[in-house]
Amino acid sequence: MPTKSSAPQAPSRTLVIDNGAYTMKAGFSSAAGPEECRVIPNCMARDREKHVYIGSQLEKCKDFGDIVFRRPVEKGYLVNWEAEKEIWEHEFFEDKAPSHCDPSETGLILTEAPNALPVLQTNCDQVVFEEFQFASYFRCPGPVLNAYNDVQATFKGPARDPAKPVLPTEIMLLIDSGYSHTTVTPLLQGRPLQSAIRRLDVGGKLMTNYLTRLLSLRQYDMRNDTYLVNEIKEACCYVSRDFHADMEQTWKGTRGEKRVPGSIVKDYVLPDYHSRPKGYMRDHDPSTKKKLGVPGEAEDILTLGNERFTVPELIFNPTDIGLRQSGIAEQVMESLSVLPIGLWPALLANIIVVGGNANISDFIYRLQRDIRALAPAECIVRVARPADPILATWEGGAALATNTEALSTLSVTKQEYDEHGSAWVARRFGGK
Amino acid sequence: MIQHDLDANTITMINFGVREELAAKAAPAPGWAYVPDTGVNSSVTASQPSSRKRARNANPNTSSHDTTAKQDAKILRELAALDRESHRDVSIPVPIRHRDNAGRISHGKVTPAVRKILQSQKTFANHLSDYEALSALASALPQPSAPAPATPAIRTPGTTTPHPASTGKRTHRKRDLNVPPVSTPLRRVSTPSQLATPPPLNSESTTDAPMTDAPILSTDGIVPPASHPADNDPLLMSKIPPLPTQEELEKLLAIPPSSYNEARGEWTEEDRRKPIRKFCEVCGYWGRVKCTRCGGRVCALDCLTLHQEDCFTRYGA
Repeated sequence: MPTKSSAPQAPSRTLVIDNGAYTMKAGFSSAAGPEECRVIPNCMARDREKHVYIGSQLEKCKDFGDIVFRRPVEKGYLVNWEAEKEIWEHEFFEDKAPSHCDPSETGLILTEAPNALPVLQTNCDQVVFEEFQFASYFRCPGPVLNAYNDVQATFKGPARDPAKPVLPTEIMLLIDSGYSHTTVTPLLQGRPLQSAIRRLDVGGKLMTNYLTRLLSLRQYDMRNDTYLVNEIKEACCYVSRDFHADMEQTWKGTRGEKRVPGSIVKDYVLPDYHSRPKGYMRDHDPSTKKKLGVPGEAEDILTLGNERFTVPELIFNPTDIGLRQSGIAEQVMESLSVLPIGLWPALLANIIVVGGNANISDFIYRLQRDIRALAPAECIVRVARPADPILATWEGGAALATNTEALSTLSVTKQEYDEHGSAWVARRFGGK
Repeated sequence: MIQHDLDANTITMINFGVREELAAKAAPAPGWAYVPDTGVNSSVTASQPSSRKRARNANPNTSSHDTTAKQDAKILRELAALDRESHRDVSIPVPIRHRDNAGRISHGKVTPAVRKILQSQKTFANHLSDYEALSALASALPQPSAPAPATPAIRTPGTTTPHPASTGKRTHRKRDLNVPPVSTPLRRVSTPSQLATPPPLNSESTTDAPMTDAPILSTDGIVPPASHPADNDPLLMSKIPPLPTQEELEKLLAIPPSSYNEARGEWTEEDRRKPIRKFCEVCGYWGRVKCTRCGGRVCALDCLTLHQEDCFTRYGA
């Protein structure tokens, strides 16, 4: 860029924010290396006592019964800046903020979901520069940052040389399965192949809501306790290796021929927010059901059978709830189908899954098996997840920020923004 | 949202071969249109059955899903419910103590643009329909008065802008009707012009792309393994498709982002042919039995009894 030489000294510290719909992952990074990353609930919440929590204040909340949330990020895109500004102020800019910084001396790396609406991108650029006045700014789709992680080490290959500057991975296929949706993004040298990005509208929210519905229909009305249902989902759900067999195991049988529930069936002890702040899962005990009415035995139990695996199954078979999209493995193949066949072997051999859903047990196994079944037989299929799939995108951004030179070619400075305006910035970041 | 969705879809009624078009945005006068009757119309045969059994089994759409319009509407309603943030409508206003600058640094004067953004209460659905309307408008106008690009805007028939009136879950069925299907997975190289939305007006943006000078995928650093006597054995030879050329990769990387609706993953042709799995509405096991009254699925007698308690007493089911 011609303007680079005239730009002032690049800010020494960079704030990296992976602004997810459920949590935002934020922390500083500089040439000296990444600092600590905080996972902050990206929401404003109100509990039964009408007390409002902002962002990380939520950890002070003791009673999650009937709690309601307002989330500024909707479907993965930052929509409501009023609420987001409140959270950012609380986390970064106020005097007592946990990660305090002065934006005019700080650079910003901010993620967005792929295929964002241009108007939302422009809004974002304007607020970052005109309201917060960050010194420099790089906005990119979240998947892109993952290219700066050590992908080969994730596949248990040789780790990269820490002495060398961080460069993006040559080629990889990134699956980001978060709260709002699941996206498939092929990346070449840290640049997305835009025409091949595919989105599956199944994410953590849909699964939690689905589990809520199942539990509400079959056991207790949980519709006002989605926070709790999310905890149940995280504790109990798994991706089935053999859907049909698991289904048989959890069936109660016909009227004449009752079956004993298998080991898949578990009990989840609900929290009462007094003596038991957190719920937990334990083996199913058929005798506990009768104790429910006993006054001394104040223990509420949800019994989870096929709910444990039919809920994550939605990512692989969205048609189970009538959603007219193909599963994630098919979306990977759809994404490849618009790319030259010469890229397929490399993309299929370097599939990385990030996002909270990657933590569901056996997710990676099942995904690899499903893609294997669809991919050309000659191609090697490797699917892996980083050590912490939730933080992975942030870690990539933090790694990018250690390479100040690469970052400054990608970012836009405040001065450039003032000179050229937001339309120029939008073009710069590859929007339309 | 659903309401809108259903209205937007043209409701078509069949009456003696005359189809009444009740479009949501049609002229207020009752409109009748004669449409050519091509071949056997399955919905006509369904309304004039020769036998009751055949009517029950008749499948208006050739695909495997045997849902009625009522069930379709129910599915859509449930999907919309699953998409919601919470079961009730809530509004949590920003705490008032933050309105004055108590205890926080000020970022200077709020510019009008930012004030507008901060005050906007638009939801994502609002923004999306704005965008759709705008792009429909842009494609409707022959040439905008704004800068005539030096490079002619390549607009292939494939780049349809999404229909403004149809939002939500149904859009994907209609979109890309004239795009050549990309279902054949082993296609070589798709020409970028088929995929590309019109190139950006300003050619400047292509020069912005970083690292244009470095080769995108270099094979320089890779040392080939030592040769083996059986390397040329045709039975052992592995065939690796050649890497695309530099120019092809450049072209591929230069494609601008597609829109939100275009990026939505499809329901592949192959998956459409597969039967949809049915589950028991009560316990979640396979839905092996259909309720005679509502067509809902249950697994066995226990669940059927439970289901029918509800089904037979519910009003309007």
